[in-house]
Amino acid sequence: MPSIARTARPGRLARALGVLAPLRAVDPLIVASTFALITIGMVAIYSSKLATLTAQGLPTTAFLSRQLIAGGVGLVLLVAATVFDYRRLRAFIPVGFLATLLLLVLVLTPLGTSVRGSQRWISLLGFQVQPSELMKIALLLALAMLFNETEGVPGLGRTAFAVLLAIIPLGLVFAQPDLGTSLVYLWLTGIVLLVSGVRVRYLLMLAGMGAATFVLGLRTELIRDYQVQRLTVFLGADAPDADFAGALFQTRQSMIAIGSGGTYGRGLFEGTQTALAYVPDNHTDFIFTVIGEELGFIGAASVLALFGVLIWRAVRIAAQAVDRDAMIIAAGVAGILLMQVFVNVGMTLGIMPVTGLPLPFLSYGGTSLLSWMAMMGLLLNVNLRRR
Amino acid sequence: MTFSVNVPAPLDRSTVLRLAFLAALSVLLLGALLARLWFLQVLAGDRFAELADSNRLRTVVSQAPRGHILASDGSELVVNRAALALTADRQALVDAAGAPRDEDAARTVRRLAVLLGIDETTLLRRIADVRYSPFRPVPVAVDVDPRIVLTVRQNQELFEGISAETIPVRDYPEGDLAAHLVGYLGQISRDELAEVRYADYRGGDLIGRGGLEQSYEAELRGRGGQEVFVVNRRGSVIDVQSRRDPQPGLDLVTWLDLDVQRAVEDALAEGIVASRSILRPDGRFLPSTAGSAIVMDARTGGIVAMASYPTYDPTEFVGGVSTEYWTFVNDPAQGQPLNNRPIAGQYPPGSVYKIVSGAAMLEADIVGPSTLVGCPGSYTVADVTFRNWNPANEGSMDLATALKRSCDTYFYELAYRQWQAEERAETPDEIVQRVSREFGLGEPLGIDLPGERGGVVPGREWREEFWLRYRDGYCERASRAEPGSFEEELLLDLCRFGGVWRGGDAINMSIGQGDVLTTPLQMAAAYQAVANDGVLLRPTVGRELREDDGTLVRTIEPEVVSELDLTEAELRSIQRGLERTVMEPGGTGFGAFLGFPFDEVPVAGKTGTAERKPRVPYAWFAAYAPADDPRYVVVVSVEEGGGGSQTAAPIARRILETLFDVRRADAPAFVAGPEILD
Repeated sequence: MPSIARTARPGRLARALGVLAPLRAVDPLIVASTFALITIGMVAIYSSKLATLTAQGLPTTAFLSRQLIAGGVGLVLLVAATVFDYRRLRAFIPVGFLATLLLLVLVLTPLGTSVRGSQRWISLLGFQVQPSELMKIALLLALAMLFNETEGVPGLGRTAFAVLLAIIPLGLVFAQPDLGTSLVYLWLTGIVLLVSGVRVRYLLMLAGMGAATFVLGLRTELIRDYQVQRLTVFLGADAPDADFAGALFQTRQSMIAIGSGGTYGRGLFEGTQTALAYVPDNHTDFIFTVIGEELGFIGAASVLALFGVLIWRAVRIAAQAVDRDAMIIAAGVAGILLMQVFVNVGMTLGIMPVTGLPLPFLSYGGTSLLSWMAMMGLLLNVNLRRR
Repeated sequence: MTFSVNVPAPLDRSTVLRLAFLAALSVLLLGALLARLWFLQVLAGDRFAELADSNRLRTVVSQAPRGHILASDGSELVVNRAALALTADRQALVDAAGAPRDEDAARTVRRLAVLLGIDETTLLRRIADVRYSPFRPVPVAVDVDPRIVLTVRQNQELFEGISAETIPVRDYPEGDLAAHLVGYLGQISRDELAEVRYADYRGGDLIGRGGLEQSYEAELRGRGGQEVFVVNRRGSVIDVQSRRDPQPGLDLVTWLDLDVQRAVEDALAEGIVASRSILRPDGRFLPSTAGSAIVMDARTGGIVAMASYPTYDPTEFVGGVSTEYWTFVNDPAQGQPLNNRPIAGQYPPGSVYKIVSGAAMLEADIVGPSTLVGCPGSYTVADVTFRNWNPANEGSMDLATALKRSCDTYFYELAYRQWQAEERAETPDEIVQRVSREFGLGEPLGIDLPGERGGVVPGREWREEFWLRYRDGYCERASRAEPGSFEEELLLDLCRFGGVWRGGDAINMSIGQGDVLTTPLQMAAAYQAVANDGVLLRPTVGRELREDDGTLVRTIEPEVVSELDLTEAELRSIQRGLERTVMEPGGTGFGAFLGFPFDEVPVAGKTGTAERKPRVPYAWFAAYAPADDPRYVVVVSVEEGGGGSQTAAPIARRILETLFDVRRADAPAFVAGPEILD
């Protein structure tokens, strides 16, 4: 890397900047992709609400400005997460995990805020915070720490402990209810166990137990009928007699929006499905429809490519990590990113059920943006400190 | 401070493998998304773009006011008016099977049925009528008592899905006047909707049925307005994408004179009814089942009046005809009132046809205008005797006199001679048939009314085709007939030689008998040609098309159908014959016109009594006046009305009296003429 030669250059300014020197080794692809995605997200959010807000006589930037504030806070968090050596972070992880867990408990108390029958938010210092988003990071760090302290192949006891660590927040989130996010925890745990070297037979055993639990959940109606229905109904989206007025409406309209974009899109702010609000939640979970409709295949595929770049860099960082926890963090970030992108975009394309997972960086929602920027900070952090 | 880059990771093989697995999974899942995206946007993009448009665009169609139908002087025959109607929202009230959607809907239907005084099944059938678009309110009752509408409006909660509105309907200021000419409106059928020419029609649209409403459908209809709205997910209107105002239909100005039309209808109806009290020699009354009367402008072919008896009431069709009335207007026992006889009735013309056969003989040069031919009481050829209507020998006469006396034997003699001449020729020039076509017979004239029929001009070819079609039947019936009987002889003859055009056929045809059939309209056109110096014009009812503000759009010009191939002297002899028929003592029409002011209005005409055994003869009278400068042609025909001079001529006389305003105030409605069975 050219930075080596330059750091060797004498001079007072250079010496003063010496402290920040490692920042020069920051992965430019991650930074560029992250900011590109956030920018596209901001534009899409603005577009999704433009017509509706205009019609209501409200300022058209109402949603955009709140997302911009979150982005600003996220930037601070990203820098902090990059600069603060992850090895010194280890000491705070148990406290952080327990604190986030406490927030998740508090969400379920009357302190939490309920929207459309799901209790996910809590008011913190005047901001609506979604602790389940923060828990992704907390759980990832906690699991990374847990497996960092082992030498060689993790045993059954440690694996069981890891599962226990995951099950507590998973249960709390499932109770909100937020099936999507609890599945993210499950997936995350699976990825961590996989890359931590847990024996394949344990992994298969856990998968079997998971399946058994799911069946049991169905039998005892712990998983409600509508949840099952939501998971399966999308399979009929192409059937001619599908009930488009009901459960399939959102999926159907989402597919129409994206499909009608064609190769080149209808043009920014020109999407009729977007402007006329045919796709419900198109500023949050269905933000991808705005991109698909207005920017076409070119735009939508570019977004997927940016995510691909991030996942590729994350896996690469994992492969180059010197510490076990650094490797787990990077792989975990790659795993969650892959899952959320696939589940969210798949849902808008009608090949995955509607589960209510936001699209990383793009969906409207402060906590989600914050936590993803923080995760990118963590990626950069471990990448910088490979010694 | 130094630090290393690209330090080889101290990872074991297993971890590298597991990370590779994660990388592979990423490629797989992102690849799947990309493939799906390619399918939706690039491959199926056009289809989804259409879906997006059908999502956001709603088209609302508004009907254009239909054009009026006006008389020649501009007075109104058919106009529009707003009618109070109750409409039902089909989606809200009935399911796909036509049963009430739920208990509430059933109660609403029951209440409405009681209020309208109709039974529930009838009402349900109307609501579920498939001819209406399911997205438009279905009119279930038109011209509702305002008190009923008020009840529904005041108790809207009891009548969920029922609304009161005013809809434009056809209005007939003159009642059933000219019903057959006007036609009526009916719903477009499902089969018609599938046709290309009705591409811009929608279920529930009204379409002209019968009469001018049908033939001028394209002009009268106008073009419906259309508004395309942009709507959002909740269906609220965001914007108007396009708007096309309805374009009112054109007004049709006809040749009709409503006063004349009324007089013609009255004269026909009263004449027919009155003639039924005439006692026949066999002790029965004249049946006079039905009839036609036509008044045509002699110089243009315009239809001034046209009546068909029995008639019907077009108001019964407003808002949908009832099954009972529909059965009634098509019932043969009622004389099929819907049948427009002047253009669709095909009858043997009898002696009114003699102007055609006479013209043919002149064209064939078998006879000149002043050639004398005998008029004996009967004419025998090859052992078959053909009788004149008058058994006495009337001596020799020229064509004009033969027409005046309606002498059959005069025409028999000439027809037989012509037939013999044709038989000798290698390829016979069938002169009577050719001249018949010159007179507009044998095929529809192309009047601007639907349902016109063409009649029959028989001849050698026609005879052979007819025979080939029915020969097997004749032969079979002959084999089953009693041996040695007259029936067997006749059938055997038909079986063997039925395809031959014989002298007897030519003889019968010369007096409008045998197989020749014409419509009253064709006869009117034939007499119009004689009156109009040999130029036969296409009969038309429509005269002009105007916009609703009166601006002239198009004039329907008179059209020449054919010109008679007669010299002036020849034509004049026919005209003379017709004048003498009516105005000279001894003429077959003279008796019916006793006391008519010929000095004011000279009349030319011809009686006809067409045999159609075993029925009572069909009465005909065809005339034009003033004879020296013809303005009108009048034709009357009465089915089973006895002699032409007896029933048809008095009706025609009354029509002529009205036309020229020479009718005496104390004149009786109908005075039967002398019974001359010419």
